[in-house]
Amino acid sequence: MIKASPNKKLKVHFDPDNIDIIVEEGENLLKAAISAGVHITASCGGAGTCGTCKVLIKKGEVESTRTEKLSLDEWQQGLRQACQSKVITDLVVSVPVESRLETEVLSQEMKMVSAAGEAEALATGWGFNPPLSKLHLKLPQPSSKDNISDLSRLLRGIKQRYHLSNISVEFEVVKRLPHTLRKNNFKVTATTLVTAIKTKLDKRRPTIINIEPGDTSSKHYSLAFDIGTTTVCGQLLDLNRGRVLAEGVAYNGQISYGQDVITRIAYCQKPGGLKELQQAVVSTINGIIEKLLNQAKVSLKHIGHINVAGNTTMTQILLALEPKYLRLAPYTPIANFIPPVKAKTLGIKVGEQVHLFTFPSVASYVGGDIVSGILGSGVYQRKKLTLFADIGTNGEIVIGNSDWMVTASCSAGPAFEGGGIKHGMVASSGAIEGFEINPENLKPVIYTIGGEKPRGICGSGLINIVAGLLEAGVISQNGKFNTDLSTKRIRRGGDGYEYVLCLAGESQTGKDIVVTEVDIDNLIRAKAAVYAGCQTLSRSVSISCHDFEQVIIAGAFGSNIDIERSITIGLFPEIPADRFIFIGNGSLLGARLASYSTDMLDDARRIARMMTNFELSENVDFMNNYVAALFLPHTDGDAFPQVSQRLKKLPPRHRGKELAF
Amino acid sequence: MAFEVPKTAYSGKLRQIKLGSGDKALTVGGETSYSFHLFEGEMPNLPKIAMEVWDSPPEEWPQAALEPFLGVTEDPVLWAKKCIDDYGAEMIALELISTDPNGLNRGAEEAAEVVKKVVEAISVPLIVWGTANQDKDSEVLSKVAELCQGKNLILGPIEEGDHKKIGASAIGYHHTAIASTPIDINLAKQLNILLGNLGVPDEQIIIDPTVSGIGYGIEYVYSVMERIRMASLTQQDEKLQFPVICNISKEVWKTKEVRIPESEDPSLGDARKRGILMEAMSAMVLLLAGADVLVMRHPEAIKLVRGMITDLTAA
Repeated sequence: MIKASPNKKLKVHFDPDNIDIIVEEGENLLKAAISAGVHITASCGGAGTCGTCKVLIKKGEVESTRTEKLSLDEWQQGLRQACQSKVITDLVVSVPVESRLETEVLSQEMKMVSAAGEAEALATGWGFNPPLSKLHLKLPQPSSKDNISDLSRLLRGIKQRYHLSNISVEFEVVKRLPHTLRKNNFKVTATTLVTAIKTKLDKRRPTIINIEPGDTSSKHYSLAFDIGTTTVCGQLLDLNRGRVLAEGVAYNGQISYGQDVITRIAYCQKPGGLKELQQAVVSTINGIIEKLLNQAKVSLKHIGHINVAGNTTMTQILLALEPKYLRLAPYTPIANFIPPVKAKTLGIKVGEQVHLFTFPSVASYVGGDIVSGILGSGVYQRKKLTLFADIGTNGEIVIGNSDWMVTASCSAGPAFEGGGIKHGMVASSGAIEGFEINPENLKPVIYTIGGEKPRGICGSGLINIVAGLLEAGVISQNGKFNTDLSTKRIRRGGDGYEYVLCLAGESQTGKDIVVTEVDIDNLIRAKAAVYAGCQTLSRSVSISCHDFEQVIIAGAFGSNIDIERSITIGLFPEIPADRFIFIGNGSLLGARLASYSTDMLDDARRIARMMTNFELSENVDFMNNYVAALFLPHTDGDAFPQVSQRLKKLPPRHRGKELAF
Repeated sequence: MAFEVPKTAYSGKLRQIKLGSGDKALTVGGETSYSFHLFEGEMPNLPKIAMEVWDSPPEEWPQAALEPFLGVTEDPVLWAKKCIDDYGAEMIALELISTDPNGLNRGAEEAAEVVKKVVEAISVPLIVWGTANQDKDSEVLSKVAELCQGKNLILGPIEEGDHKKIGASAIGYHHTAIASTPIDINLAKQLNILLGNLGVPDEQIIIDPTVSGIGYGIEYVYSVMERIRMASLTQQDEKLQFPVICNISKEVWKTKEVRIPESEDPSLGDARKRGILMEAMSAMVLLLAGADVLVMRHPEAIKLVRGMITDLTAA
């Protein structure tokens, strides 16, 4: 063994970054890479247990021990775990693409989660190892010396090339095998799929679900979906590069059958009702898939997998599973972990081989969407006491950290997604999202998503509008207009008083865009449900909202949410804005990560088991907290000291001259 | 060691508000403890009882309730005077029954003229109670406020839906606002905040929590009133530190149990006694829960309640 003597300077060259760094003899190679700014994935943080930091030593020597994470083959090829290696000579090191891809995907995901790239809002430590894999094989032609069966030939090839054994095969694949193998001289691409395992000790068993002639491994795509009660969001993913190629959103086709899950479940009790609703959402999904494929110019046949996160009701209806008992005490779902199902049998227009995974659920009203959000945001990985709120038609709330998690669900209604709002719309181009008001003449300044002419108002826009109107004294704390103000912007419309945001001439619809007292009322009820839910759940575990070290907000109601203004209307507790992180659609985020990483798929199962559900409908405080929250920002102004202070500075509207006498 | 009574620690105090004007003006509120907990704090102003007078002759009052006012129910001025002169009323509560759009639907001007006559004929504070029809009350009570400027009437019910109009009148013509909400502590507080935002001074607000009599959910009323008092005294909730008014007589005397004559159901016993006791007992419950002003009807029931107040405050 060569002894390391201190103070000797050595040069390490990293490929393909082409970066040199001078280090002292004996320096840890992973540390050297980090100081050089070279990205090497090290999921375990350098403990040597994950095996993700493999590098190839092209020239020179390192002092290193072989752990079980490196096969003898790999060791002989010159692969080493960077974290287990000390620099003892000048080196030329090559960082393999697998070790880089993960870093790239992770940094992309971070950017998508928040503009600031906050690591605290994204799950970490997962390897880029999609459950769906494409294995390209050049198999030897059968001969008199080698005349094993077609299937054995395939499996042998996979074992030799990819070190995979214990594989199962779908019958459909066997049926197509002879023609497919011979179509392109035994050059084929097999697609394998793995499912989640319960514990790390379980053996994972890949299944061959598809076989194609030639090399199709460069065309490797899947779909991630968030099936919301109000909105359905989908993304087309490139599984070779870990990238989102296209994104689409549409209202759930079930909306016309009822705005909330209860009426939907009730509708399913009618003859043929379940089928009707199932087909409604499938048709929405098919519409989105078509858009995604067109947008990214990807062929339908290359989609290999669909990952769906949705609340328990949405999941059961999508799978045509009787949702009746979700609604009846004691509220039992059919299964928390539903096995994969062939997407085509549900009516989704994809290839026959495509399996659809659904996220595991916790309870009747705490579904896969929240499990997915917790997974994606990594709440379950950190010690920080976190409040996680997914703001949708059902507000789902989780409190906890890596040790424990409690959850509750409250019915907020569709207002946050623009539903039930006179000029509400999904958060897509043309939706009014930004709002300022001139305090002098009470005229609005509005911004739309995509900078287009306004078409309507999205959820985050509605929050900004109501907060703005409140702070300008245009509405009172009960959400009613101050009709004594001398402005033409406030007028009486078909639904009572309304405020004109945009005149017909300036809008895309050719009509005035207004916010009505009824809209404001709907938003107040929605925010009250979420706030009361947070309050009730926190108190159930004896935590004050000031104890939260971090608040993660997820929701499909806009590209961003103004935290300060959300606090102004009393949607969130008044705690420092820097503790809040908005991650957008958390459910979709989790569905995406679980498409990229089998580790994540396993974690989803773990999370679902870990959460304890609280039934707010059985909590006597909830109703009281709810009524207290039906005010702007809240009946208990002391809980919102800064907002109350600002509102107090508004002049009374009835003093002095303004008095109508 | 001598026995010591366990005591509640209070951190808040109720506001004192002045009702009426002139020599006979009254002050209510100011408590620093729960009602009658004189071993813990002070009750600087004892609860007051206003006697109910209608602006049109009552047609459905049971005989027992009508008896004491025979001959004066046609004229609210005479009726009010009789309450003061014969029964020692400290306050009068004039119910503007005639303005009910589903009844006589008397106009605002006419109703306000009647109020003016009454207020000028008496010197004790006058409560003016509308019909809880928000559109009509806005019109009527605003007119009343204008016509009786400076008299510091106690005007109500003022609800969320009409608080702006009537509240503005209360500010403009200096009257006290009865902030009325449907049996909920949060709604009560919300309306107080709204009236405050409007500019109604704190000294001109009294809470009407909406009440009911025995057998008709008084337990619920009790618990809401108790919580209001707890919030104001032990949690320093400034927006609830107002005196409370309970308009109880109407609620009691319309119930089936009070109205059924003995002849129809002998097991219920003497109807007169029954009515008086139901009213007195309901009022007593509300006093314990924190009522500062009671609106009552029968002189005998009032006598019983006064007796209770005297007993509970005897040194």
